[in-house]
Amino acid sequence: MRWIIRLDEGLSWLSKLCGWIACVAMILMAANVFYDVVTRYVFNDVSIAMQEMEWHLYSVVFLLGIPYALRTDGHVRVDVFYTNWSQKRKAWVNLIGAVLFVMPFAYLIAFYGYSFALDAYELGEGSGDPGGLPHRWIIKSVIPVTAFFIGTAGLNMVTFAIRVMAGDKQYEGEHSAGGLA
Amino acid sequence: MIGMIMFGVALVMLMLGFPVAFTFGGVALFFGIYAEGMDLFAFMPFRIMSVMQNTVLMAVPLFIFMGVVLQRTKLAEQLLTSMGRLFGGLPGGLAISTILVGALLAASTGVVGASVVAMGLISLPVMLAHKYDKRLATGTICASGTLGQIVPPSIILIILGDVLGLPVGDLFKAAVWPGVVLIGLYILYILVLTRLKPQTAPAMPSEDDNATRGQEIRAALLAIIPPLALIVVVLGSIFTGIATPTESSALGGVGAVVLAIIYRQFSFKMVWDAAKDTVNVTAMVFAILIGATAFSMVFSYTGGDYLLEDWLMMLPGEQWGFIILAMVVILVLGFFIDFVEISFIIVPILAPIAEAMGINMLWFAILIAMNLQTSFLTPPFGFSLFYLKGVAPPDVRTTDIYKGIIPFILIQILVLALIVIFPEWFGMSATY
Amino acid sequence: AQDKFTLRMAETWGPNFPIFGDTTKQFAENVEKMSDGRLRIRIDSANKHKAPLGVFDMVKAGQYDMGHSASYYWKGKVPETLFFTSMPFGMNAMEQYAWFYHGGGMELMQEVYGKHNMLSFPGGNTGVQMGGWFRKEIKSLDDLKGLKMRIPGFAGEVFAEVGVNPTNIAPGELYTALERNTIDAVEWVGPALDLRLGFQQIADYYYTGWHEPATELQFLVNKRVWEKLPQDLQEILRIAMRTASYDMLVHSQHANAEAWANIKKDYPNVQIKRFPDDIFQAMYNANKKLLKEAAAESEMAAKIIDSQLSYQEQSRAYSDISERAYLNTMAEVE
Ligand code: NA
Ligand code: NA
Repeated sequence: MRWIIRLDEGLSWLSKLCGWIACVAMILMAANVFYDVVTRYVFNDVSIAMQEMEWHLYSVVFLLGIPYALRTDGHVRVDVFYTNWSQKRKAWVNLIGAVLFVMPFAYLIAFYGYSFALDAYELGEGSGDPGGLPHRWIIKSVIPVTAFFIGTAGLNMVTFAIRVMAGDKQYEGEHSAGGLA
Repeated sequence: MIGMIMFGVALVMLMLGFPVAFTFGGVALFFGIYAEGMDLFAFMPFRIMSVMQNTVLMAVPLFIFMGVVLQRTKLAEQLLTSMGRLFGGLPGGLAISTILVGALLAASTGVVGASVVAMGLISLPVMLAHKYDKRLATGTICASGTLGQIVPPSIILIILGDVLGLPVGDLFKAAVWPGVVLIGLYILYILVLTRLKPQTAPAMPSEDDNATRGQEIRAALLAIIPPLALIVVVLGSIFTGIATPTESSALGGVGAVVLAIIYRQFSFKMVWDAAKDTVNVTAMVFAILIGATAFSMVFSYTGGDYLLEDWLMMLPGEQWGFIILAMVVILVLGFFIDFVEISFIIVPILAPIAEAMGINMLWFAILIAMNLQTSFLTPPFGFSLFYLKGVAPPDVRTTDIYKGIIPFILIQILVLALIVIFPEWFGMSATY
Repeated sequence: AQDKFTLRMAETWGPNFPIFGDTTKQFAENVEKMSDGRLRIRIDSANKHKAPLGVFDMVKAGQYDMGHSASYYWKGKVPETLFFTSMPFGMNAMEQYAWFYHGGGMELMQEVYGKHNMLSFPGGNTGVQMGGWFRKEIKSLDDLKGLKMRIPGFAGEVFAEVGVNPTNIAPGELYTALERNTIDAVEWVGPALDLRLGFQQIADYYYTGWHEPATELQFLVNKRVWEKLPQDLQEILRIAMRTASYDMLVHSQHANAEAWANIKKDYPNVQIKRFPDDIFQAMYNANKKLLKEAAAESEMAAKIIDSQLSYQEQSRAYSDISERAYLNTMAEVE
């Protein structure tokens, strides 16, 4: 059990790291779009590179946010039956779901996403637009990187479910994003 | 046929309560590998990339950020309660205010995920705090958050313009009246409902019992101005061309932070926490989009789209029968498939038939747009319902949202029927 | 019995996209008829594969057997692919086809694409593309300075050289952006396709083209797939592709003429304009400079540019005394 707790906390740290990066990207993205609007309107100046940076940051926000939201239980569930179930039953749903759905899905996207990014790297792909950003492999590799972390977050669901079954932890509410609104 | 079975299985699996996004993805995975083999999933990075490069969707995190900041600084609450107070002793004031704010947001974006989530953040806590019925509150938010699809600028209309070869400007103009009527009927519904059942939407209590009605209104107006000014800035930046609709959402986010500074609510921790909430909710929305794209990929690559085409070919060849059945088909498909898929799979098949019957394509397009708007709201797969559930407190159940949306769906069907029967009321004609 | 083949083809365009989509549909039909059903083409439009600009990678990797797209979209991946679509101040459609089929163009194209496990064939031409919709009249180079224009790719680079600010706008927001002056101008294709986006409702000045005098689409074929086909089917495919490109050029001419007549009738606000000579001269020089830079960066690019420029010179000399002379004569007598 001890090593399960260790593993659980380590994996959880990884997802939070993803969330931290996504938060920084989120703030940078808002600033980036604001900056682009101001320079275009006030100084009549447009930079395609800065415009492309917008969607680069936006991609980081939503992709790396996915493993983070898995950790915070922020992904929406249909709670028709789920809410009324015991902790143990919820743990089984999450354990089986993580093993059958999350981890294989993450594996496939990581597998194919890797060659997707590798192709871009080997071609030296960049933007085709005037003044656009080079090194498109960087943003493309966010896909397999995210998939890897979704995989670790899936494993984290398993470790957490085991802790719940052992009575060491509890599912609070059915998702923490519910505290939001 | 595999596509159809997959829908059934997904529906059952969703009920088990595992996160929606990964249920879609996981079910798609099993059916995809079974029918086409693993390599089908080599298309997934391309599909994810197309979401990444769909810059219109940038409005989702940006609007959510604005909503979160307004909520965390209590400015949203101030806006809505003050607006609600303007209605004095009239019940339902908060719901009507929500619809009006939803209409304003609708005029600034066409992205449903952005406005439903932002509206959920801004107005759900306020309505629940004022003892609104959960169903009424969630139904109002989903319906008014989805208005963005019909009120221009609208993504559905742009896609339909592309598929049907109609000028976008004409479509935007034609959609204005149906949008206004829809908003009007939502408000009318709230008024009638609260007359019949005042306890579902209690009137706002006066803050100060000694204040005259005049003083009350003045106080409310003063409180409304700053947050309303923010919304006006967002809208104004679009109308004056300072920003595109997507970019305006960034102005909204930065503007909300500026408001927070003015109201001494600002701290770096507030912004950081707002960013965390934004990332969490944004990830929830996009995970659904990615799960759904895996799902629709398996559906179409296993021949689901060809099957639909075959079915559509069997529609009757007489004008009214055709219109009515076409609308029913789109409505039913909307329960299951995403509106972009419908626009691209169904509309190209229906369009030439409609055209051959002499049906006015502009009118036909508006009918489809109204209908597709409804598809966001119909259980079990209506995305707006998932999005709102994702930000709602745990005691708001999926079933509350499912039940709450029904009256609004009926209103939409009513407006759709009105446009079908009396196109001239909306400044259109059924034929050329 | 003889073997039957089905080739899956991904196109960059959406389903029922006019002219471009008609071209591929007709092509698939022709192939099936000519091969008596032994070779079938199954077309997947952008709504199905969701990767309009992933056609290159998907055909290269064999996820699709064929693709229908435009070569210049791959400029960011393989710079030399830029030259097989259309170049600013380059050849017109007739001259360019002559270059492809008789002037060594095809060989150069296969050399570029062969490295990526593909064959590329001309896939239909739009004819001269219009120079774009402008909300203000452009009277001098100064009017172009700081002008915000949606103009992607190499033509955007030429515009940038003379002071234009190329701007990215999502296609779904182009209309709104132009209507509300977020941007000042939009380059799209030509009357038939522009009409659908409604620019004629919000911009009065429609400029004549210079930047894409003969936009050629392309068929991409995965090399292994091609080699697996029996020789007679290869030949059927080759002929059908060549027919498709001719069909599309003719169809473009027809549809554009029709659309232009409609614009003239329904939108009297629209005026046709031509950039003043000094602007053309500045853009011509900018284009030359950019080509020189491209040639310095890659030997293959230099080889292609050289081939195109010398072919254009010889071919144009004849166009001058034939097509141009005829059109000039007609202009005089009408
Ligand atoms: Na809208
Ligand atoms: Na063009």
